Parts: sequence; structure tokens; C-alpha cells
Amino acid sequence: MGKDKIKQVSERLNEREKAFNNKAFNKRASGGDPAQQKTSTRGYETLSESEQFEQAEYRPELTEPLSFVSYSYWRSSLRIFSKNKTGMFFLALITLTLLFTFIQPYLPNQKNPTLIHNDANGIQIRNQVPNDEFIFGTNAIGQDLWSRTWSGTRTSLFIGFVVAFVEAAVGVVMGVLWGYLRRLDFIFTELYNVFDNIPSTLILILISYVMHPSLQTIIFALCLTGWLTTARYIRNQVIIIRDRDYNLASRCLGTPAYLIIARNLLPYLVSIITMRMAMAIPSAISSEVFVTYIGLGLPLAIPSLGNLIVSGIDKMMEPTLRYQLIFPTVVLCIVTISFYITGNAFADASDPKNHAA
Amino acid sequence: MVLSVKGLNVSFNLRGENIRVLRDVDIDVRRGETLAIVGESGSGKSVFCKCLMGLLDLNGIIDSGEIIYNNDNLAAFNTERDWRKIRGREIAMVMQDPMTSLNPLLTIGKQLLEAIELHQGLRGPAARDAAIDCLADVGIPQPDKRFKQYPHEFSGGMRQRVVIAIAIACRPKILICDEPTTAIDVTIQAQILELIKNLQKKYDLTTVYVTHDLGVVANVADRVAVMYAGEFVEIGEANDIFYNARHPYTWALLLSMPQWAKKGEDLYSIEGSPPSLAMHISGDAFAPRNSHALKIDFVERPPMISVSETHKARTWLLDPRAPKIDPPTLVHANQATPAKSFATTPLLQVRDLTVSFGKGKKRLDAVKNVSFDVYKGETFGVVGESGSGKTTLGRAILRIYEPSAGEIIYKGKRISGRISKEEDTRLTKQIQMIFQDPMSSLNERAKVEGIVAEGLLNLGRIDKKTKNESVNRSLNEVGLRPEFADRFPHEFSGGQRQRIGIARAMIMSPEFIVADEPISALDVSIRAQVLNLMSGLQREKGLSYLFISHDLSVMRYICDRIAALYRGVMVELADTETLFARPMHPYTRSLLSAVPLPDPNAEKEKRIIEYNPDMHDYSEQLPSWREIEAKHYVFCNDLEEKRFLLPYE
Repeated sequence: MGKDKIKQVSERLNEREKAFNNKAFNKRASGGDPAQQKTSTRGYETLSESEQFEQAEYRPELTEPLSFVSYSYWRSSLRIFSKNKTGMFFLALITLTLLFTFIQPYLPNQKNPTLIHNDANGIQIRNQVPNDEFIFGTNAIGQDLWSRTWSGTRTSLFIGFVVAFVEAAVGVVMGVLWGYLRRLDFIFTELYNVFDNIPSTLILILISYVMHPSLQTIIFALCLTGWLTTARYIRNQVIIIRDRDYNLASRCLGTPAYLIIARNLLPYLVSIITMRMAMAIPSAISSEVFVTYIGLGLPLAIPSLGNLIVSGIDKMMEPTLRYQLIFPTVVLCIVTISFYITGNAFADASDPKNHAA
Repeated sequence: MVLSVKGLNVSFNLRGENIRVLRDVDIDVRRGETLAIVGESGSGKSVFCKCLMGLLDLNGIIDSGEIIYNNDNLAAFNTERDWRKIRGREIAMVMQDPMTSLNPLLTIGKQLLEAIELHQGLRGPAARDAAIDCLADVGIPQPDKRFKQYPHEFSGGMRQRVVIAIAIACRPKILICDEPTTAIDVTIQAQILELIKNLQKKYDLTTVYVTHDLGVVANVADRVAVMYAGEFVEIGEANDIFYNARHPYTWALLLSMPQWAKKGEDLYSIEGSPPSLAMHISGDAFAPRNSHALKIDFVERPPMISVSETHKARTWLLDPRAPKIDPPTLVHANQATPAKSFATTPLLQVRDLTVSFGKGKKRLDAVKNVSFDVYKGETFGVVGESGSGKTTLGRAILRIYEPSAGEIIYKGKRISGRISKEEDTRLTKQIQMIFQDPMSSLNERAKVEGIVAEGLLNLGRIDKKTKNESVNRSLNEVGLRPEFADRFPHEFSGGQRQRIGIARAMIMSPEFIVADEPISALDVSIRAQVLNLMSGLQREKGLSYLFISHDLSVMRYICDRIAALYRGVMVELADTETLFARPMHPYTRSLLSAVPLPDPNAEKEKRIIEYNPDMHDYSEQLPSWREIEAKHYVFCNDLEEKRFLLPYE
């Protein structure tokens, strides 16, 4: 079976290559390919045969072909990324979701997410199934689930972005110090080993438990654990790049360490940092849901995807009310999966190894 | 004839561009011969070999042509199953780097057994015996013991022997050696070449060498094929190529070897670099760089024209209509030139320098008790094999490594250890470095302008205009155009990148430059350009160089004095010509005997002297660093000194 599979794949590859070659050939034949440069004939082709056998003029300035390769790191990364259809789809999806979350409050007929709606008799409109007025229905105390869902998404995204930025900032600073300063390596590695062996869930629970439940608490708790992995990641990259000759050249030229880091190391880490951030956002959002689920998260007054899902779970066993769980969960899935897949696609595209094809 | 290649065209897809890497390659390989394919990086020589093994990368395609072996057309093979009949069992390959071609997780015995069981059909103890015989065959001492060891327990040369053993174990008809000695030290290089020659005789092999090193070619080749920009430009017997070359590119390759140059005069060099493969080439690919080019070279591709039965070249110069051009003559110009005289006060003094890494049991002295002086305007060469500590020595002078003992004195002031901040800035300006690999020594994400100006900006604030002027002046000095300033390094060829690296050092107006293997990573035709640039700058500015290299033929041309390092110990130091005429220390003798010569007759007479550190008799007296004749220092004891001073046989 394996042999057949290999054959199939290689045949498919051959076909693809042939098709590509035909395309490239046609393109060149029609003169539509600017990348295919021709060497100059210097207009000698019009000469007569005997003249052509004369000594040509030697022009040293023409011996070196100009612009050896037209390659730009970011252009190639974008090109590879744009070829990844799944990545592009999820990028579009997350962009639209983000846009909508921020536009939603300014659309007409939107309700206050914390307002409890009463009917004409002054009784709360509880557990109203989705209808024209309440698009996602209402919850157990008569709040509008539509506006709560989007407000919750805003909160969750806010947590995600803040945590990702703090993680990246702290992680990069610590990672670069850890990787670049050889003397600190031992201490940092030992500290890392100690902290990395404390389960991050434990820290998360402990801090949420000790401190007053609020947005700040949850952000603080999430930041406290997340940067460690980023730092380790950055440190490994720095160690790979640090001993390349051009850094040595900078040292010989008397360039101070902070400039070497800023000019010689960080530009090579941008893609990694961006990728880490794209991954940190969905993981922070999921952690918020988890902390809220075990009852240590945000108070109900601040809607978040976490507490929406937790209140939805209470209604899970009643088929008519299951919408209260489904709507926030779907939004959560869209946000986390999109970030995750887009981040991965970007990581692949920004890897110079993939730029050849 | 064993193998016949006809009209082979190969192209690659790279970032959507179609790149033609081999153009109409025609060659016959004869039974039992040694064919050497010579070319610079990117000339397509490795791609050619990969075609013979069916190992082309996924984005490479054979567009047309035939590879005929035993009535099979290898070019038409497209399944792994077809290739498995050929690979190893008919055509085997020895790769460049013995570090990466062995599996580090298996004993070499296991890796060898795999080949023997597959190709010789032996099992159990019989296979084991065959494997041990095979190891003995390639000259590995104590093969039954070595059989159970892992690749990391072998030295580089021994590892390459194992790789050869595995290739031979398949009993192939053709052995392809892709730069087999490039990653190995010179003295061991000669042994490996000798080994391949013996195996060739023993097993009736046909060998194809792929190399850029004309010394290796002169040593081994019966026939030579010169490759440029994806085509063979000249094919002939070794004597045809070395003594009667007809293609201007072959002339250039041969002439740019430092062995042919006279000290103090510029090397013959060809400007520029090979064309980018993405270019569609009309006419002769070499025409723009060829000072002998005819007008037709730019218009029409020259045909292969026969010179004699064994010799043909692809150049219009051989056409009866072309004007007659006398090929440049090669003469051994390396006659002894009188040593230059230098100022009496040294510029740099190194005193009993020891640099060590690690502590306690793991302590390793990379440089031990080294002392020497460098005078103003002088090029001081440090020669040694890998691991000899020559790079460490250079870096200690640049203050990148702290010496653990001894001191370094520059212009009468100590520069090792703690020094003041002003002193540090002053030294940064005066002592600069040129790097080996132009690919890794430039920051890819910075513009040329930023790279060249880096040192200047560290010296203090300057306005934009002065900065631009300095950058342009510096680029001009190294022969680059000022408009290159706002380009990125990846747009340049290796030679140009090396020039950028030199411009970056020159902008500081240094007086002393540590050049760590400045031309080893460059292509043959580019080396001469860089060497000429370095000696030109020295003449103009009175620079002093510490020239670190493993290549004595280049050092003979450029260095005034040479010191040999062996495992961190300086064993000999003398004027270049004295050293070449009367090497004393057995290690220096061994190094000198192994220098490759681009001359087949001389190569065939060459006798390699092997050096073994156990040959010294230090039982009565330990060796010390002594001046045994005027300006000739050797690391030896009384007994040896007496022996060295005997008339030289």
C-alpha cells in the first residue's frame, strides 16, 4: 500500500511540475515574465560575420551581474502565507469577527449588556428563546444575550491581547538576557527549571483565589505564568544566532551589546515573536474560561466568554435553553481556532526554509 | 566506456522562476579512468553528480538528454525501484562532509553491515568478517575494535575513510567523490586521495571527482572537465588542461593560483562573478568577464571545437575565422624573493600567551605559551590545521577572548586584561578583523550602508553627510560602487560580500588587521580579486596583517613571515622563503610536503611526510622556543636543535 501511495504522490508531483513548466515557458515565450532577464548582446548580432570575429571591447564594469537575487524576506513570507488557503480563510474570519465586535455597540437598536429587561408587568424577561427583539434570546435574569455575547468577546479579546503583549514584552526581554549573557545562563536555567515544574494551573488558581476577582487579577495571573515559555523560546533562538560571525564583527567594531541585540538579533526574532503572540491570545482566552469555570473568574457584572459559557452550562440539560451555551461557545471557537490556525500558517510562511518553493 | 551523458539539460524551480542549471552537457566516462569535474560554486557540478545517482532535489527536473549506463537510460528512470538497482551497487558516492554522512546513533560496524548485507548478500559472522576486512582495506587500524565504535570516536579523516568503506562495500563500478577532501586538513587530504587511488586499482573502479581544488585535480585526474555556468567549457586529458588549456576561463582558473604569482606583484585575476543562473544566457556565459572575448561570443553560443583527439573546448577562439591569441604562459614565478625589511620596533608583541577554555579537568589550552612580534607593514602568517588554535589566537588579539596567561602589547602598551575606556575605543579603531565566510559575516537585515558605517557610528555622533562620504570612500576603496549603499547583502555575490566586509573594517582606518581565513570560503576566481585588494590596501596604507590560514600556497604568496601552530603550540617561525627552503620542525615539514600544486607532473612526484607527535624524544630535556638561526625560531630541545642544524638533505 505504501509503495502505491509513494507512486501516486510522485506522479502527482511530476504532473504539477510539468504544468508549472508549461506555464513558465508560455509566460516567457509571450515575454510576460520580467524576472527572466537576458544577457546583453551589446547589439553585436547585427554585425557581419567577419566583424563578429573581431575582438570585443572588454568592459570591467559589466562583469558583475547586478542584483544577484531579488529576494525580500517579508515579501516572500507574505507570498507563502497568501498561498495557504486555510490560513487566509481564518485570517479573514478573525478580521471580520474583530471588526464586528468593536462596531456592534454603535449599531442601531443595541441593548445594554448588563441591563435586566422587564416586561410590561415589571417581571423579568427570563430565558426568552431567540426572537426578533432578542437575537440570541435572554438569560436567566433577563439580560440580552446578543449584546452580552459581543461584550464578552470584547472582554476576552482584551484579556487575550493584553496578556499576549505582556508575555511577549517580558518574554523577549528575559529571553534575550538569558540567551545573550553567558554568565546568567546557569542561574536563569535553574530558575526556569524550578518555575516550570510548578503547574501553571496551580499558580492561576492560587492567585485568582488570593486576590479579589477582577479583570486585573485574571490578567496578572495569566501573565505571571505565560512569559516563561516565550522566554525559553527566545533564549534558544538567541543562542543559535548569537555566535554568527556578523555579531562578532559588531563586537570588533565596538558596538555596545544593546545595539547588537537591537540590530543584529531582534530583526531575526520578529517572526517568532509575532507567532508566539498569535498563539498566546487564544490560550489566554481559553484560560479565562477555565478559571471562570472553576468559579474563580470574573464577576457576572463584567460579561466575558468565560462567565457566559459557565451560565450556559447550567441550562445545558434543558433542550429549549441550550442556546445559552451554544452561542458563546461558537464565538469562542471561532476566535481561538482562527487565531491558532492563522498563527501556525504565519509561522510556516515566515520560516525562510519554506521560501524556496 | 562505462557511462555516457548526451545533451543533458536540467532545470530547477526556484520561487516560481525556472532556472536552467545544466545546459547540453555531453561527456563520456571511460572504464577505469579518473575524471575530475572542476567548477566554482553554482557551476552545476554537484547537480550533475546528483543526476547520475537519481538524487535531484524535488524541484529539479531533467528537461532532455540521456544518461546511458549498461544500455539503460538513467535519465528516463522515475521510480525509486529503478534507481535502487543503480545506486550503491553500480554507482556509489562519497560526500563532502564526513561529519554529516554517517548516522551518529549507530556504530560504524552496523552502518557498514547494512551495505554489505544488502549488496554482497552475506549474513552473520561472514558479513562481519567482510566488514572488518573492508575497514582494514581503507586503512583503519585495529578494525575489529573500531568496528564497535560510534562515528564521534573517529577523527575527520578516519570518518571519511569509513564513508569510503561503506561506498566500496557495495562493490560499485563507478565511485563519485563530491569534494571528498574539502572538509579535511591538508595533511590528511593527501592520504585520502592516495587511499582512493589504491582502491581504484584494487577494485577496478572508475572514479569521478567533483572539486574546485586544482591541486586535487592535478594529483588524481586522468581527464579533466571544466564547468562554468552549467556547461562544460573544456574537456581534455590532465596534461591538455594544465599545460595546453584553450578556454579563457581555464586560463583564468590556472593563472589565478597564487603558486604562479611573483610576490609583491598582483595576482592574475578575472573581474566579476559568474552569471546568475536565472538569467537567460545568449552567447558565451563567460564573455562579459573575458578580456579575450570576440564580438560573436556575446551573440552566439560557441560550439565544442576539437583541439586534438582527447581535447576539446567551447570557445570561438578555436574557430579558424578567429584572430590568433597566444595562451598566457604559466611559469613558476615563486622564486625566492628577498625578504622585505621592516621597522625595528614591533607594532604588536605577543608574550607567552595562553588562552584556555573550561575549568579544572575540562580545561583546554587552545593556545599555549605563544610569543611573537609583528612589525609595521608586515603580513604575518599563522598556519595550522583545524583545532590548532589559530582562530583563538586571532580573537585573543582582538580582545574577544581573555588570555589566561601572558600578555599582548600593542605599540608598547599592554592591551590584554583590564584597560581604560578611551584605550578600548582607540584599539577598536586601530585593530580590525576580516572574516572567513562572507555569507555569515554580514547582517542580512541591514543595508550595506548600515553595515559599513556601523563602526563609525560607534565612535561618536556624526552628521549624515560625513557619514555618507565616509561610506562612499570606503566602498570605493574596495572597488564597489557607491550606489550599492542602499542595497541589502543578499543582492551581492560572495566576492562582493567579502569586499563589503573589508570596507566595514577599512572605514575605521585601522593599522592592524586580523584576517581569519579571508579567502577560504571564496571561489577560486574570486580569491585572486580579494588577495589583490588586500595587498593593494597594504601598500597604500601601510597596514599590517595577521593572516590566518591553512593554505600554505596562498601564504607563500602573501606572507612575509609564517608561524606554524600545532595543537596550540607554536612550533616554528621564520621568513616565508626560509621556511619553504629549510623547514626544521617535523610538523612544518609535513605541512609543506602536503601543499597541493596545480601541476600534474609535480603532484605525481610529491612525497608526503607524515607527522606523529610521538616521534619527538623529549625524555632527556623538554622542548623550548629557541632561535636556532637568525630569525628562525623552532620549538625543540638541544638534541633536536643539533639535528635540525645539520646540512639539509
